[in-house]
Amino acid sequence: MIPLQTSNTLPDWAALAPAIILAVTALALFLIDSIDPNDESPSMLAGVATLGSVLAMVVTGWYLVAGTGMPRTGGAIELFSGQLVVDGMSLFFTFIFTSVTALVCVASYDYLSGRPNQAEYYALVLLAATGMSVMASANSLATAFVALELSSLPSYGLVAYLKNDRGSVEAGLKYFLIGAVSSAVLAYGISLVYASAGVLELAAIAEALGAGIDNTGVLGVGILMVAGGFAFKTASVPFHFWAPEAYEGAPAPVSGFLSSASKAAGFVLAFRVFVTAFPLDVVAGTIDWALAFTVLALVTMTLGNFAAATQDKVKRMLAYSSIGHAGYALIGIAVLTGTADQSYALGASMLHLFVYGFMNTGAFLFVALVEYWGVGRTFEDYNGLAKQAPVACFAMTIFLFSLAGLPIGGGALSKWALLSATASAATLSAYLLAAALIVNSALSLFYYSRVVKAMWIEDPAGDFEVSSYPTGLYAAVVGAAIVTFLLLPAFGVVSGTAFDAAAALF
Amino acid sequence: MVSAFEFVPAIAVLPLVSFVVALAFGKWMPKKGALAGIFATVGSLLISIWTALTVAGFLGSETVYHAELWRFATGIGTFNLHLGVFVDPLSSLMLLIVSLISVLVFIFSLGYMNDEDETGLPRYYASLSLFSFSMLAFVFADNILMAFMFFELVGLCSFLLIGFWFREDAPPSAAKKAFLVTRFGDFFFLIGVVGIFATFGTGLFATEAGFPHMAEQAITGEMPGPVGEFLSAVGMGAQQWFTILGLLVLGGVVGKSAQFPLHTWLPDAMEGPTPVSALIHAATMVAAGVYLVARMYGFYLLTPTTLAIIALIGGFTALFAATMGVVKQELKQVLAYSTISQYGYMMLALGSGGYVAAVFHLTTHAVFKALLFLGAGSVIIAMHHNENMWDMGGLKEKMPVTYWTFLSGSLALAGIVPFAGFWSKDEVLYEALIHGLGSPVLLVAWAMGLLAVFLTGFYTFRMVFLTFHGEPRSDTAEDPESVRWNVKLPLGVLGVLAATIGFINMVPVAKLTGLKIDFLHKWLVGGEVLNAEFLTGLEHYEPILKEVAGIKASYIAGGEIPTLLISAALSLGLALAGVGLAYRLYAVPEPVAHTKKLGGLRTLLMHNYYQDEYQVWLAQGVTLPLARAADTFDQGIIDGVVNGISSVSLFSGDRVRRIQTGVVSNYAALLTIGLALLLIVFGIVGGWF
Repeated sequence: MIPLQTSNTLPDWAALAPAIILAVTALALFLIDSIDPNDESPSMLAGVATLGSVLAMVVTGWYLVAGTGMPRTGGAIELFSGQLVVDGMSLFFTFIFTSVTALVCVASYDYLSGRPNQAEYYALVLLAATGMSVMASANSLATAFVALELSSLPSYGLVAYLKNDRGSVEAGLKYFLIGAVSSAVLAYGISLVYASAGVLELAAIAEALGAGIDNTGVLGVGILMVAGGFAFKTASVPFHFWAPEAYEGAPAPVSGFLSSASKAAGFVLAFRVFVTAFPLDVVAGTIDWALAFTVLALVTMTLGNFAAATQDKVKRMLAYSSIGHAGYALIGIAVLTGTADQSYALGASMLHLFVYGFMNTGAFLFVALVEYWGVGRTFEDYNGLAKQAPVACFAMTIFLFSLAGLPIGGGALSKWALLSATASAATLSAYLLAAALIVNSALSLFYYSRVVKAMWIEDPAGDFEVSSYPTGLYAAVVGAAIVTFLLLPAFGVVSGTAFDAAAALF
Repeated sequence: MVSAFEFVPAIAVLPLVSFVVALAFGKWMPKKGALAGIFATVGSLLISIWTALTVAGFLGSETVYHAELWRFATGIGTFNLHLGVFVDPLSSLMLLIVSLISVLVFIFSLGYMNDEDETGLPRYYASLSLFSFSMLAFVFADNILMAFMFFELVGLCSFLLIGFWFREDAPPSAAKKAFLVTRFGDFFFLIGVVGIFATFGTGLFATEAGFPHMAEQAITGEMPGPVGEFLSAVGMGAQQWFTILGLLVLGGVVGKSAQFPLHTWLPDAMEGPTPVSALIHAATMVAAGVYLVARMYGFYLLTPTTLAIIALIGGFTALFAATMGVVKQELKQVLAYSTISQYGYMMLALGSGGYVAAVFHLTTHAVFKALLFLGAGSVIIAMHHNENMWDMGGLKEKMPVTYWTFLSGSLALAGIVPFAGFWSKDEVLYEALIHGLGSPVLLVAWAMGLLAVFLTGFYTFRMVFLTFHGEPRSDTAEDPESVRWNVKLPLGVLGVLAATIGFINMVPVAKLTGLKIDFLHKWLVGGEVLNAEFLTGLEHYEPILKEVAGIKASYIAGGEIPTLLISAALSLGLALAGVGLAYRLYAVPEPVAHTKKLGGLRTLLMHNYYQDEYQVWLAQGVTLPLARAADTFDQGIIDGVVNGISSVSLFSGDRVRRIQTGVVSNYAALLTIGLALLLIVFGIVGGWF
C-alpha cells in the first residue's frame, strides 16, 4: 500500500473518493432509470448500487490501511479551504457507512422484488450515504448543516418508500416534521454560534472563542441547540420521538440503514464539532457540554431500554434498543472531562458504533427476512422459527447476544471499552454512566433473549411454511453475523485504528 | 536440531486431542476410543522421555525451560494471567511418571473394560484422556493460577470417572463425595491463590520474578516494594502472612492428597473402575497435592510452622490410615487406605525437609501402587467383580503372572529390601529422624511414621496371603476367569519396575561404599542454571532449609553412617515383623478373622474412627441449616429486590411507552419542552441570564 500523500501519486481531492463514488453511483442509477424506466428486473439496479457501495468501502479500507490523512502520512487532508477534512476519523466512519450501505443494498434486492420505483430507492440510499460520508468529513458548521440535510432528505423519502402502506407513509411524514423542527433548531444554533465567533470553520471557532467572548448566553444557547440538532440525527432524547415510528414504519432494510449508519453519522459530526470547535477548556465558562451529554446519555439509554422491555413487536423493540445504544455511544463524548484518557473514550464510542453498525443492521435485516416471509411482527410470531430457518436464526442469536453485550460478538468488547473509558475518567458522573450502562445492558438481555427464546425454544403457534430462502437477504444476514462474530477475536485490529483516529482529533 | 522443549505442550495436548476424538468418534472406533488414548499417551510418553533426556543434559546444553504459551490478560500496572510451561528436573520426572502410568492404564483398560463388554466406553476413554491431559498440564504449569485450573480439572475428571457407573447407587454418591470433599480443600487453595497474586503480583513458581523468590527476599533480604506495601496494608509480618498463605494452599493439598481430615473421599472412590483407581492413586489426582507442595517448596521452606504442620499431618495420616487398613475385608479398600498412608509419608518427608525423599517416594509409590491396583483389577476380573478377600484364596497357582507381580508390588509397599519401597521409605524416615532430633515436633511425626511401617507390612501381607494363598474359599476362586495379554503386559512392566526403581537412589549403599549412585539426588540438585536462575534446584533449597526454616540435621550414635544404619535396620525390622505377624496369622490353608481380638478397637477401626459420621454431621447438622437460612435470605430479600426491580422496570417501561402517543404535534411539543428545560437548567448553571 502506498500512502497517498507521501508518494503524491494521487491528488488531494482523491481523498474524498468514497463520497465521490457514492454520489456517482447514485447519479448512474438515475441514468439507468431514465434510459429504461420500466425495468422490472432489479438485478441491474441492486448490482450497481452494491458495486458502488462496495467499491467505496474498499477504497475507504485501502485509505485506512494506507494511512491517508493520518499523522503517519502527514496529518489530516484539508480540502476546499478547510471546509472538508479527511482524516482517520472520517475514514473510519465512512467505512461504517459504506459497509452498512452494501449490506442494505444486497438485502434490498430480495426485499424489494416486485415493487415499483426501485431505482429511486437505491439512488436515495446512495445519496443518503453520500451525505453521511460528507458529514464525516465536514469541517465547518456550514458544510455540516448541508451534509446533514443531504443525508436526512433522502431518508425521509426512504422511510415513506412503501407508498401504499399507511404505516410507512405516516412514519415518513412524522420523521420529516420532527426533522424539520430539529433542522430549524440546528440552523438557529449555528447562527448563534456564528454570532459569537464570527466564523464557521471548526478550528477557527475554537480559536475565536479562545480569544474571548462577549455574550456567553448567546454562545451557550447556540452550543446547546447545535447539540440538539445532532441529537436528532443520533436519535437521542429528547429528539428521539421520530425514531420508534420511523424505524417501525420504514421498510426493514431502511430501518437498519437509519438506525446504524445515520446514527453513526450524527455521532461523527457531534464528535468532530464538539471536540474541535468547542473544546471543553475553551467553553468552560459558558457551558459544560460534557455534563449535558452525560444527562442525555443517562436519559437516552435508560429510556430506550425501559421502553424496549415492554414492546411486543420485534421491530419496535429493536427501534427502542437502538435509542438505548445511542445512549451507550454518547458515553464516549460525555466522559471527555477530568482525568479521562480522551482519545480512549472517544475511540471506545467509535468502536461501539462500528460493531453496532454490523450487529444492528444484521438484526434489522433479519426482521426484513421475516417480513419477506410474511410471518408476522410480534414476539409470538417468531415462535419456532429456528426449526425452519436455523442458519438465519443462529445469525440473529449472534446479533442479539452481541447487542446485549455477551461475548459472542464484538458488542461485548466495545461495551467493555466504554466501561473502561468511564473507569479511566473516574468522576462521579462517569461512574453513574458506568452503572447505567451495566444496569441497562442487564435489562436489555431480558428483552433480547425473549426473541432468542421465541425462535429456539417455543413451539410455533400457527403453521407457516418458509417458502423460499432469498439469497440476497441471507447473504447480508450471514455476512453481518460473520463480521459481528469476527470482531470478537479481531477487535484489536479495529481498535488500534479507532484509538489512533480519535487521538488525532485532540 | 529441534529441542524437546518445543514439544512439551504437546505432552498434554495429545491426550486432549484423544479426548475430543474419543468423545466425538469413539462410538465408531474399533476399540471405542481406547486406541486414540493409547496412541496419544504413548506419544506423550515418548516426548516425556525425550524431555527427560534433554533435562539430563544428554541432548544439548539447555536443561531447563520456561516459556509463556498464552496470555489471558494483562492488567495495567499489575500482574498478568497466563498459561506457561516450566520444565525442570522435578516436572520432567513427574511428566515421565504420569505418562507412563497413563499408557499402562489405557492398555489395562482394554482388558478391564473392553473385554468385559462394558457400555459407555467412549465416555470412559474420553474422561481418561482428559484426566491425563489435566494432570500433565498441571505438572508443567509455570504459575499457580494455571496449576489451580488444572488441579480443578483433575478434580472434575475424577468425579466423572469415579461416577462412571452412574446407574448404580454407590458410584454417583462416591463421585459426589470425592468432588465435594476435595472442593472443600480447594476453596482454601483458591483463596491462597488470590492471596499470592495480591501479595506478590505474580504466580510464577520459578525464576527471580517468581513468588517463592520474592518471599525469600522479603524474609532474608531486601523487601520487594509491592510485597512490603501489601504486608503493611495487612498489618502482619512477612513470615506470619506467608504462613497463612502456605496453609491456605495446603488446604487444597490436604484435600487432593487425601490427608487427614479430608481423606474420607478416597476409600469411597474405589467405586470407580479399577484402572481409574490406579490412575488416581498412583499418578494423577492424589499425587497432584504432594506435587504442588514440591513445586512450590521454595515457598514452604520459608515458613517453619507450615512445614511442621505438614510433617505432623503426614506422620499422623500415615499411621492413622494404616490402622484402618488392617481390618478391611475388600481388596481395594486395603489399597485405598495404604494410599492415604503412603502419601502421608511423602508429606512427612516434605515437612521434615526431605525434598528428595518425598519425590523419591512419590516416584516409587506411583509404580508400585499402580501395579497393586492393576493387580487387584486382574484379581477382580478373575473373581467376577467380587472384591471380598474372604472369598478368595489360592489364586496363586491359577494366575501366576498376577501373583508374582502383585508380590513384587507388595514387597515394595511393605518396604522389604531390595524392593523399591524400601529405599524410598527408608530415606523418608531417615530424613525425618535426623531433622527430628533437633525438633520435637518432627520427632513425633517420625515416630508415627515409623510405627506405621509395622502396620504397613502387616496389612499388605494379610492382603497377599488372604488373596493368593491358602485354599480357595469360594467357587469363583476355584475357577477364576483368565486374563489376557492386555492385563499381563502392564503388570509385567510395573512388576519389574517395582523391584528395580528403588535403585535410582540407594542412599545407604551410596553412603557406605562411597559410590556416587544416588542418581535421583543428583537429578534434583540440577545444573547451575537451575539453581542460579530458576531457583528450583536442591542446592538452592538446602541453605534456606537450614537458615530460614531452621531445620538442621543431627545424628545419633556418633555420626551419619551409624544413624543411617540404625534407621534402615529399624524400618526394615519393623516391616519384617509386620510381614511375619501376617504370615503367622493368615498364611495358613484356612485363615480365620482375627479382628475380634481387637475388641472395642475393632468397631472403631471398622467405622474408620467415625470420620464419615462427623463429616456428615457437619454437613447436615451445621451446613444445611446455614444453607437454609442463606436460601431464605436469597429467596426473600435478594430475589425480592431483583423481582421488585424488574416489575418496577416493566411498569416504568410501560409509562415511557405511553409518552409515544403517535400524535406528531405532541412530539414536537415534548421536543421543544425538553430543549427548553435543558436551556433553562444550563442557562442558570452557566449564568447566562
